[in-house]
Amino acid sequence: MSAILRAHAWSIGLAILFLALLGLAKVIQPSFGITGLESLARAALPFAFATAAMAVVVIVGGIDLSVASMMAVASVTAAVLMQTMPAVPAIVITLAAGALMGAINGGLIVVTRVPDIVATLAMLFVWEGVALLILNAPGGTAADWLENTIRGSFVIPGLPKALVLMTVCVAVVWVPLKRSKLGLSIYATGSHENAAFRSGVAVGKTRIAAYAVCGLFAAMGGLSLTMLTGIGEPVPGPYLMASVAAVVLGGVVLGGGIGGLLGPIIAVFILRIIRTILTLAAVDPNVTTIVEGTIMVAVVMLGALVMMRGRETV
Amino acid sequence: MKRFLTGAAALALSVTMAPAAFAQDGGYTIGVSNTVQGNGWREEMICAMRAQALSSGEVDRLIVAHRNTDAAGQLEDLRNLIEAGVDAIVLNPANPDALNSAIEDAIAADIVVVAVDQGVTAEGAYVVSNNQEEYAYLGASWLFEQMGGEGSVVYMRGAAGTSADNDRDAGFRRALEENPGVEVVHEVFTGWQQDQGKQQMFDFIATGIPFDGVWTSGIDNVIVDAFLESGAPLVPIVGADNAGFVAMLQDVEGLEGAAVTNPGSIGGAGVAVALNILNGNPPEETTVLVDPVLWQNTTDEGREQIANAQNPNLDPEWPVSVEIPGYTTYSMDEIIACEGPGE
Repeated sequence: MSAILRAHAWSIGLAILFLALLGLAKVIQPSFGITGLESLARAALPFAFATAAMAVVVIVGGIDLSVASMMAVASVTAAVLMQTMPAVPAIVITLAAGALMGAINGGLIVVTRVPDIVATLAMLFVWEGVALLILNAPGGTAADWLENTIRGSFVIPGLPKALVLMTVCVAVVWVPLKRSKLGLSIYATGSHENAAFRSGVAVGKTRIAAYAVCGLFAAMGGLSLTMLTGIGEPVPGPYLMASVAAVVLGGVVLGGGIGGLLGPIIAVFILRIIRTILTLAAVDPNVTTIVEGTIMVAVVMLGALVMMRGRETV
Repeated sequence: MKRFLTGAAALALSVTMAPAAFAQDGGYTIGVSNTVQGNGWREEMICAMRAQALSSGEVDRLIVAHRNTDAAGQLEDLRNLIEAGVDAIVLNPANPDALNSAIEDAIAADIVVVAVDQGVTAEGAYVVSNNQEEYAYLGASWLFEQMGGEGSVVYMRGAAGTSADNDRDAGFRRALEENPGVEVVHEVFTGWQQDQGKQQMFDFIATGIPFDGVWTSGIDNVIVDAFLESGAPLVPIVGADNAGFVAMLQDVEGLEGAAVTNPGSIGGAGVAVALNILNGNPPEETTVLVDPVLWQNTTDEGREQIANAQNPNLDPEWPVSVEIPGYTTYSMDEIIACEGPGE
């Protein structure tokens, strides 16, 4: 029990912080309740998928600056396809396209040996252009039932459908992956590429696979945008920096090898509830981003301090 | 482990420092949602909203959600405003269709929704907007007439994929069809970014390809700068009524140009309409369109209009038409002060 607690100490700390912030929202706005939670979960959807995508490539020791652009491509692809075909095949095609985009990013990095940050910076522009080629202005459509899958609560009030959908989608990909040989290879490559290579890990293939998973999550993020808005938007949203922030706040080490998806996704909820609290408290909008950034730095710094002191006493 | 948990709890408490500003009872609470920050036009819109809310005397509290984000981010802001229990929401929508789910939730919660600048398709929402298609048509028609109905035009658009840009494109194309002698020699998106637009103009001047006029989607004064700095001969230029460009129309030797009004103060009109609805006086139509006006520096009448609109205290990137007659009640000083109720 204690071992499990220690392994997830960071995530547990974040969860406590999140609950405290929920309590604060309730104090500022006593009517904040079930609909508030549902709104929060819906707002968190695209950020959570973007963060999951980013976390996987950070764990393998890379970074993908094209996450938001791939989301835009997925969003417009789904919105255009759904004009002519039922939702299910459109979703399958979009997810496949996402994995393909990710694999192209990974392949480019492995084959050309250009650093991840440079290659994906270039691909950021490529995917952005692709999204505009598919749809040069916001448009397309989404099946009506899709919106209902993220609207309201699931079975019990206060358990948002959006949260259930997010959990299921991330778990279906991540849980089996993490337990598989590929998952082990991803962590091994991230912590020490040479050591992994000498231990027989196919480092190149592993990285391509990790980027493909990143693309798959990005496609889910793009789909969630289409589900939320009912249209496809070709201009990428603010998901790149937000996903890097949530990954770091969530306890994934930039450089690779350490961390999971649970922490970063809780971090997404923390960042969203902070936005809600700042709106409820009517804080000057020009100050809110400063507050958001300050809180992030404070949490990461204090957290590192607490972790260090904890380690000394163990 | 225990120490870690107490540490985490202390950490959690240390973050709970958001200021708790609560409104007194009495007047209305109005929420504002906008998705472009740091752009002169949008800043004027926000200031007009603040000034109008203060000037009306009926608003106790104005909650402004004003940041750079996409339609999904605006959905989040709108739902946060609904949670905050506002009486009305005035928004500049990122997209006409994408926000309907949150707008419908707001209307279901008896919140008055007024979209300004661009329309929304949700049933029950009011729209107070500048007529963007007419904006482009008016300016382009003047430009093509100035060019003698023939020649090449540089077409400097706004941000790709936005509805305002698409509406303006429709107006520009309509004027182009009526002037078959005019052809577009260069079409480019400035993204409504000053530095980007200026660089694009430099680049095109450097190619040496001849052209006879420039239509801009409101990134205008830097285009004139690009001509002056590169020493290229001036051609007729159409811009918006941004203070910097309007001053150039008056002062720059040899510049023939026209400013088409696109008041950011439409935000103030939106707040005024929202308050009218809350007080039981809704407008006759759910869509109120404000038509643009063109000020040219090639006629005496136009020059007089330009001279009257000047105010040295205005930010050069703000539109100079800071009031909308019949709607806004604040003074020029009040909008420049940019203060809302409770500030």
